[in-house]
Amino acid sequence: MPLQLNLLHEEISQERQRKRDPLKLSMYVAVALAGLLALNYLWSAYRTLTIKAHLSSIERDWSKVEPQVTAAQKRAEQLNAIITTTKTLDQFIDNRFFWAPMLEKISRCVTPNLQIINLEGLIDEQGKAITISLEGTAAGREPRAVAEDFRQMLLEQVGKEQPAVKVEFRTLEDLDTLVSVGGNNVPAAHFTVSVTLNTGSKPPAPGPADRKSKSKKEEES
Amino acid sequence: MNKEQTKKIILGTFGVIGLLYVYFAFFLGPLNKSRYSMAARMGELQNKLTSSKAEIANVAKLEASARAATVRYETLLTQYPEGAPIAWFPPRIRTFFSSQQIDRSSARLEGTAGFTEKELSSWNKYTWIIDLPQADFGTFGRALAALENSEPLLSVNRLRIHAATEDPEFQQVSLTALTIIGKK
Repeated sequence: MPLQLNLLHEEISQERQRKRDPLKLSMYVAVALAGLLALNYLWSAYRTLTIKAHLSSIERDWSKVEPQVTAAQKRAEQLNAIITTTKTLDQFIDNRFFWAPMLEKISRCVTPNLQIINLEGLIDEQGKAITISLEGTAAGREPRAVAEDFRQMLLEQVGKEQPAVKVEFRTLEDLDTLVSVGGNNVPAAHFTVSVTLNTGSKPPAPGPADRKSKSKKEEES
Repeated sequence: MNKEQTKKIILGTFGVIGLLYVYFAFFLGPLNKSRYSMAARMGELQNKLTSSKAEIANVAKLEASARAATVRYETLLTQYPEGAPIAWFPPRIRTFFSSQQIDRSSARLEGTAGFTEKELSSWNKYTWIIDLPQADFGTFGRALAALENSEPLLSVNRLRIHAATEDPEFQQVSLTALTIIGKK
């Protein structure tokens, strides 16, 4: 077997050692890692820039819409206030007590042998109860019966629309003097009738237009 | 691996850890933070835009549905003239009753009060005493009906009619009326 002498053995082993140098290898790994990180950074930066551009466009849109929204919110507040106020005022208008139809009913009950000398009507603070006091003189053979007929008629007339009405005598006294009715002297009685209404139990009020036409008809009749 | 190389590897590992720290703490971290905050702001604005568009559409609808209320409000507000009510209400009542064939009438202010309700903060209550010293019952009834119909914001709270002793054909009437008048 021939003897082989590798004179470069030392050099080759040094070369091999240089190639396997862990520091060099770790440098390669570090460079590769740095490259990956740089790529990741660039990708993240690209995504950030895209979002930034999108955000700018949305901000531009918002700056256009914002004044409109503020104005719309103000207008909505204004409109809601108007609606609430109108509703409250309409409630006041609808809950009013109309005296003219009541006076008409009273006038229908007054017969020629009866005279009302004083009428006083009052609505309480809450506007729920109405009290009407009627003071007058009834004349006839039976003056108390005339006064009672008046009370009954009043109860019937007012009770048509106000079922919870109360019509009561406060006073009913015979007078000493005679009264002339149709040329005949007849006895008379002095009376005070109280009418109490509770508006809380009344049916829903008609609309203003209906009320107007109704009153006009009443006026004509 | 000799001692020198191990030392270099350990140092290299520290170097890599340092590099990673710097990368995440000073580069990627702030970038991501800014991206997340922008994304959150974008979402917020997007929601605002969507809700605003809906709100604008709702206001347009409200405007359409509130048209009747707005017209009614304007009508009620223009029911009475501008200026202090004490200046124009008594002459107005006198003119009204004159047109109803009741020549003698007078109105005087009894009191003024504001409303406690928030929605009526721009309106005031005025209480008036209206005296009609010489009125025929029938004529007065018709006049009262006309007054109640023509003045929707007027409510008669007290009414007194009594026979005039000197002239039995006429009655003396006294009304306490409450009016709601807008502050102008």
